[in-house]
Amino acid sequence: MHDLGGTQGFGPVEMEVDEPVFHADWERRAYRLTISSMMAGHLNGRFRHAIERMDPTGYLESSYYEHWLHALETLLIEKGVITEKELSNRAAELAKGAS
Amino acid sequence: MSTNHHNAPESEPALRVKALELLLTEKGLVDPQALDLLVDTYENKVGPKNGAQVVARAWVDPAYKARLLSNGTAAIAELGFSGMQGEDLVVVENTPEVHNLIVCTLCSCYPWPMLGLPPVWYKSAPYRSRAVSDPRGVLREFGLELAPNVEIRVWDSSAEIRYLVLPERPKGTEHMSEAQLAELITRDSMIGVTKVTLDSKAGSQA
Amino acid sequence: MLRPEDVEQAVKTGGSTRRPEEGITPCFKPGDTVRARNRNPVGHTRLARYARGKQGVIHHDHGVFVFPDTSAHGLGDKPQHVYSVRFEARQLWGDTACGADAVYIDLWDDYLEPA
Repeated sequence: MHDLGGTQGFGPVEMEVDEPVFHADWERRAYRLTISSMMAGHLNGRFRHAIERMDPTGYLESSYYEHWLHALETLLIEKGVITEKELSNRAAELAKGAS
Repeated sequence: MSTNHHNAPESEPALRVKALELLLTEKGLVDPQALDLLVDTYENKVGPKNGAQVVARAWVDPAYKARLLSNGTAAIAELGFSGMQGEDLVVVENTPEVHNLIVCTLCSCYPWPMLGLPPVWYKSAPYRSRAVSDPRGVLREFGLELAPNVEIRVWDSSAEIRYLVLPERPKGTEHMSEAQLAELITRDSMIGVTKVTLDSKAGSQA
Repeated sequence: MLRPEDVEQAVKTGGSTRRPEEGITPCFKPGDTVRARNRNPVGHTRLARYARGKQGVIHHDHGVFVFPDTSAHGLGDKPQHVYSVRFEARQLWGDTACGADAVYIDLWDDYLEPA
């Protein structure tokens, strides 16, 4: 789904004037976590393909940094650095803590 | 810890990225201080003013311009610029006959050392799909109409080479200093969706 | 792990995938007419669908780089030449495209065959 060159039907380009580099704090976190993981050698040149492997509908319906987060999680789980269970458990704990 | 709404529930990506960061920190795989420094570089320090400096130098110094067009990586390094997503930089020159436009149809490749991180529209499906097949339509959306005999060259950054457009220097700028010229050179003109005019302001992203 | 003291240098150095050219013969040279191979791989590739099977001209040889189709799957770097290839807009999109316009795509040797 990522191979978009020449595809019709996406409509006009929408520009935001003076947009910030990151639109939310979590985007900033996704960016820095990905790049530092890349620099530390955890991603092994597989990052783009991890995004390309996303479900096509999910790819189009999610935002850019959601793609990054998806790819980062996927690669770290596949590499055995973390498990999905650890990640969702910790996210759930954080959700409880915040409300 | 949340910098967004105080009592609203956080979004799933926000929770997951925080969880991920905590786990990786606990496992000794990331250092939060390094994370802060890294993002500070690309959010606050690196940006289109870098590219504007390079373009302004090329406008006033023909020998530098020749070096820039011949080996972009080496020429930007002369001004102290280098690094991630710019290790192999090619600069393409706009003339009255040729107009260049940069895209990455497959993802979002962009010359970070020159322009910082790309805007959302550059990474969006409308731009990625149509820049290659309907460049004139895309340019029209940015307010730029080119004559049919102008050759548009669209550069699809499909490999690790990164591209930067060297925009045409507008008439009426002959008296300006290099620093004054740099203030006219916008990010969008270096991607190729607009031209530099006397009314351009590098500070606003247009 | 990336440490705070490493950040500046890591940013300035980047991570080029360029590799030495010795012993790696290019299959093409600027001016050659080529055709992008018609392939539809399951794995990672940087050969965009819109160029497959289309005829273009080698504009420039960028040098030798890691080949992503193999390296993304742990199958080796397979370093080879990457070219900027010019495709006329009408070749890619048909007669409604502007005759003056062209698309330049960066393609690895393995993506190309003589036309």
